[in-house]
Amino acid sequence: MAAFPINSNFQGDFVMQLVPVDTDDTMDQVAEKCAYHSVGRRVAPQPEKVMRVRLHNANDNFPRDMKVSDAGWRPTETLDIIFADQ
Amino acid sequence: MYQIPRAEWYDLTRATNWTYSYVTEDEMFPEEMSGARGIPIEEWETYDEPYKVSYPEYVAIQREKDAGAYSVKAALERDAYVDRADPGWISTMIAHYGAIAVNEYAASLAEGRMARFAKAPGNRNMATFGTLDENRHGQIQLFFPHANIKRSRQWDWAHKAMHTNDWASIAARAFFDDIMLCRDAVAVSIMLTFGFETGFTNMQFLGLAADASEAGDHTFASLISSVQTDEARHAQQGGPSLKILIANGHKEEAQKLVDVSIWRAWKLFSVLTGPIMDYYTPLEHRSQSFKEFMVEWIIIQFERQLADLGLDAPWFWDDLVNDLDVTHHGMHLGVWYWRPTVWWNPAAGASPEDREWLEEKYPGWNKTWGKCWDVITDNLNNGREDLTLPETLPYVCNMCQLPIVGTPGNEWNVQDFPLEFEGRLYHFGSKADRWCFEQDPERYKEHQNLIDRFLAGEIQPADLPGALAYMGLGPGEMGKDAHDYAWAEAFKKQAEVA
Repeated sequence: MAAFPINSNFQGDFVMQLVPVDTDDTMDQVAEKCAYHSVGRRVAPQPEKVMRVRLHNANDNFPRDMKVSDAGWRPTETLDIIFADQ
Repeated sequence: MYQIPRAEWYDLTRATNWTYSYVTEDEMFPEEMSGARGIPIEEWETYDEPYKVSYPEYVAIQREKDAGAYSVKAALERDAYVDRADPGWISTMIAHYGAIAVNEYAASLAEGRMARFAKAPGNRNMATFGTLDENRHGQIQLFFPHANIKRSRQWDWAHKAMHTNDWASIAARAFFDDIMLCRDAVAVSIMLTFGFETGFTNMQFLGLAADASEAGDHTFASLISSVQTDEARHAQQGGPSLKILIANGHKEEAQKLVDVSIWRAWKLFSVLTGPIMDYYTPLEHRSQSFKEFMVEWIIIQFERQLADLGLDAPWFWDDLVNDLDVTHHGMHLGVWYWRPTVWWNPAAGASPEDREWLEEKYPGWNKTWGKCWDVITDNLNNGREDLTLPETLPYVCNMCQLPIVGTPGNEWNVQDFPLEFEGRLYHFGSKADRWCFEQDPERYKEHQNLIDRFLAGEIQPADLPGALAYMGLGPGEMGKDAHDYAWAEAFKKQAEVA
């Protein structure tokens, strides 16, 4: 496990933010870590939704249980964190 | 004593070039300093500045200006305007002085480069006055805030800001170093005086002078009016340089210098002037919205000037027009949310009345920016100030050094414009920021933005308190909400009444 910096672009927020995640984190954990700096601060919570992670402007979400170390990201990769039904 | 009328000697003296015999022309005017671009010196001697002044005239006028501004200051000092002014207006002044005063002094060095190295004698003549202008601007904008240091340490940032690694200082230095301290004389005349001063400083100084008069701050109004009249004169150095470049087959490069300068100036003003005009200046004293100022001073007037010179509007003109509804709102929200990282107290400008004004000036504000402010307001009214303060850093652009922002809320659209160059991943806040980098990667590629420095371990401890220390912000200097959240309280009262 190792710290890994990403650029978080959270749906509904106005700014991208530096968020440190861990290479062992799953995508759900990445979304949680990003949400900590946006949801309830400038973005209203959406408890009925799940948060999904995808590459910036990509169409497909990463599998929720995929680990950071398997995602092939570059350090400071820009990721969109979006609210989804599943 | 009889004096020869100016008209009889002026043209001869201002067009006189040096006769050198011990050095070559290239040694006298090194290309990296002069930037003649292969255009013969005889062509540069045709440089014709539109504003002509002799040294005795210059000194007499400047003496009058200084006497005027300093006497207003002296007369009003006992009035203690600063003690009763709206805190939002105080923040305007403190932000302005920190961002501008020391850069004025740096501008005198840029003017000095033209005064020595421009091949155009007329440019050297104008720039000699420009050097003196900028030195005066540095001094007066350090002296005036100095009187207020007894009121708050934040006033001391008029001098301190540019000597720190505060993110706003890094952004301002990155811009000013690029357009005025690290360019040849011809590029300086175009990027500093034409690109930046003709449009943007006019807007900052005329706009702020109007707001200052409205707010009853006659000291600040007279100070910046005195500065602006100098700017209006020495900003005219770029036009004749552009004409010579265009006439000698360098239109493409002339256009590029103008475009880079305008884009970079726009980004800096979106964080400096946008929040001041639309959020800090008390509602009843706002003369126009930032967008209205930008449309009048930049979009309409500047485009006309470009056309008069035979240049095109920059390729990003439509993007810039669209950004007038977006970027400065994001910069303001960022500055307010990360308020401990600035040397002034940001005014939220988000009371019920403010929001009504914002919705009128920027239709759709409430369902976009307002959504973020709704969450912030609720947190403040529910005793959760902690959620209105940052725990990480915003991602900043590798060109403008400012946060990468976009539209939030229902119309969420925040875009990164990344670029991998020589194995390094760069992030840019707009297509135009990335384009500036691509025009001259050698110039920019080594620069480390705040995030790069953080990740490289330069900021220790690697957390927000460490970052604040790195930025030089001590107790009594870090920003806090200018009105102590009274604007949020107003929503609570509104709800209680309802």
